[in-house]
Amino acid sequence: MNWSLIARRNGFLAGLLVVGLVAAFLATPRLRDGIVIGATVVVAIVGAAILATPGFRDAHPVVGRAVITLVVLDFTLFLTFFLPASTDFNLAVGAAMSIVLLGLSFLTGASGQISLGNAGFMGVGALAVAIWANHHPTTPIVVTILIAVACGALVGLLLGLPATRLRGPYLAGMTLAFVVAFPALDNSFSSWTGGDAGLELPTPVTSPHWLTGFFSANTSTFTLGTVWLTDMTIIVTAVAFFFMANLFASRAGRAMRLIRDNDVAAELVGISLPRARVLAFVVSAAYAALGGALWTLINNSISPPTYTLALSITILSLMVIGGIGTIPGAIIGGVIYAYSTNVITWFTSHVGVSSQSSLASQMPGIVFGALLILTMLFAPRGITGAIQRLLAWRRARNAA
Amino acid sequence: MDAFLTSRIISDILEGLTNGVIYGLVALSLVLIWRSTGILNFAQGAMPMFATYLGMIVFASYLGYWPLIGISVVAGFALGGVTERVLVRHLYGKPEINPIVVMVGFLIVLEAVAAAIWSTTPHGIPNPFSPVDWHLGGRPLALSPFSVYEIATALVVMTLVAALFRFTKLGLQLRASALAPEVSRLLGVRVSRMLTLGWVLSTGVGTICTVLVASNFFTGLNPQVMDGIFAFGFIAAAVGGLDSPVGAVVSGVTIGIILQFVGDYVNSNAIILTALIILIVSLMLRPNGIFTKSTARRV
Repeated sequence: MNWSLIARRNGFLAGLLVVGLVAAFLATPRLRDGIVIGATVVVAIVGAAILATPGFRDAHPVVGRAVITLVVLDFTLFLTFFLPASTDFNLAVGAAMSIVLLGLSFLTGASGQISLGNAGFMGVGALAVAIWANHHPTTPIVVTILIAVACGALVGLLLGLPATRLRGPYLAGMTLAFVVAFPALDNSFSSWTGGDAGLELPTPVTSPHWLTGFFSANTSTFTLGTVWLTDMTIIVTAVAFFFMANLFASRAGRAMRLIRDNDVAAELVGISLPRARVLAFVVSAAYAALGGALWTLINNSISPPTYTLALSITILSLMVIGGIGTIPGAIIGGVIYAYSTNVITWFTSHVGVSSQSSLASQMPGIVFGALLILTMLFAPRGITGAIQRLLAWRRARNAA
Repeated sequence: MDAFLTSRIISDILEGLTNGVIYGLVALSLVLIWRSTGILNFAQGAMPMFATYLGMIVFASYLGYWPLIGISVVAGFALGGVTERVLVRHLYGKPEINPIVVMVGFLIVLEAVAAAIWSTTPHGIPNPFSPVDWHLGGRPLALSPFSVYEIATALVVMTLVAALFRFTKLGLQLRASALAPEVSRLLGVRVSRMLTLGWVLSTGVGTICTVLVASNFFTGLNPQVMDGIFAFGFIAAAVGGLDSPVGAVVSGVTIGIILQFVGDYVNSNAIILTALIILIVSLMLRPNGIFTKSTARRV
């Protein structure tokens, strides 16, 4: 091990730490803001230092993943304070979507199955939160979210049981039938679900008093409001990603990848195919329900007509474009979802298509569909795969 | 049994039959592609929809109803063939999710383009058949000249497809190249041409089905006209077995009739839920469909 290199790098990081802290306290008018910025800088630099230590990630993979999650979280949360409220809102919607994408990515990437029903599972989670919050307004929000996730997992289990014996196209068709049936399901219990009109939450989710007090809301550089919801969504997203990263790397995750690549070999080494398939399906449904639950909290209401086949297809497109079965792919897909509407509107207006024309209103479908086909034909591993290939190519060139 | 109940039951059976033949046709077109190329075509509703628009709307002002059906079906043949050659050809032998994803992409592109060109408002298609129900003993019978036309056309198409496969040399080649491509190639069958032909035929069948659906006075042609019907058609095909044309038709008709009773005696929400339950239960009991012989999967 090259100790002098480590010492030099740590010395550099320590210097950076001091400079960052001093800059933070000088730049902010109030001590509290300085403390927050200081903490952000400390977390980022200490995290980077830990990750830069050679051999650390191999020796402590779980801690390593936790540190990566924390650093990314730290950076993103810091960013949300400076973005305008509408951008923050989009970011929250995209973060919740990336959870759904991660769930589908796990199902497809790890076990080779495909689901067109994830919008339905999202709807289940979204409805469960709204229904529970309306009947038991005093339940802590975290518990309500967990109940919604459990509901999603349960529905996933019911649908997943036949999935143990199904091969790709049958499962895709069955989940398609589920999402087509979702509006009927919603309307059948309209006294609970509010039918097509949906439900509103009894009270909007707001930040706790101690935190508002600390920032003395609206008088400090940091204002709470949309930011609180966005940050909560992002923290939940980070937790979900951390769990999934460990599941990917765990025994169950490896077993599923073996099933995807060769199910007969997997059976021969003693993996129970039905159990692994159902597990993958249930996890994906639970993640979709979590995403839907967060959407209800962000919007403060649920509109059941959102959860249609079209949304399922969007989810599938985003997963494929981001990169099937990869964690960065889910994040990329979430970001694309958050800002695609703005980008497509911008693109449409710059091409010279009137925003009132029917071509403009159909642009998202055309763009997503074309991207979906092109990605699958020419870069089946999506953006993440393309970047990985580029990096590998550069490394090979540098080595030569 | 009183007269009212009898007429209600007869009406349900007739109306279920009318819907059922449509589901059966969609299921048949899915089976044709599945048997020839092993792909479940998720754009099986959208491709015929597009072909129907091409035939019905582009040429509608010049010709009458019958020539337009011909043009639509030719457009369907062409679209099916081009799709197989351009899009699907690259997908053989890839992981089974690849064709699913590509065809889902094709589905949204076709629907979006159709909506951009022809808008989402339904286009009525004038046709010579009255949608008004006949009466029997003073009660409406749920059978109109139009539904007779619908059922008859569907039966003719099904018979033609069956005859093609059973009695012609071409049908034999189609079956052979689906069953044993290598051997067929050695025996001089142009397998790749047969695969294309499978898609051509299937889209043609789908187009006739879409024309029937869109000619219905109460529906009209719109870009998403086949979405719901595709779901029922898939359920019929999966329950019958994606390998079995007979199974597809029989289960399509059966499901159509069952769902008509459910819709009449329970409520309209229960229709799709019942269909979903039928699908789940049948897949749990017979994952490869009721009408297929269980076969071992080659490793």
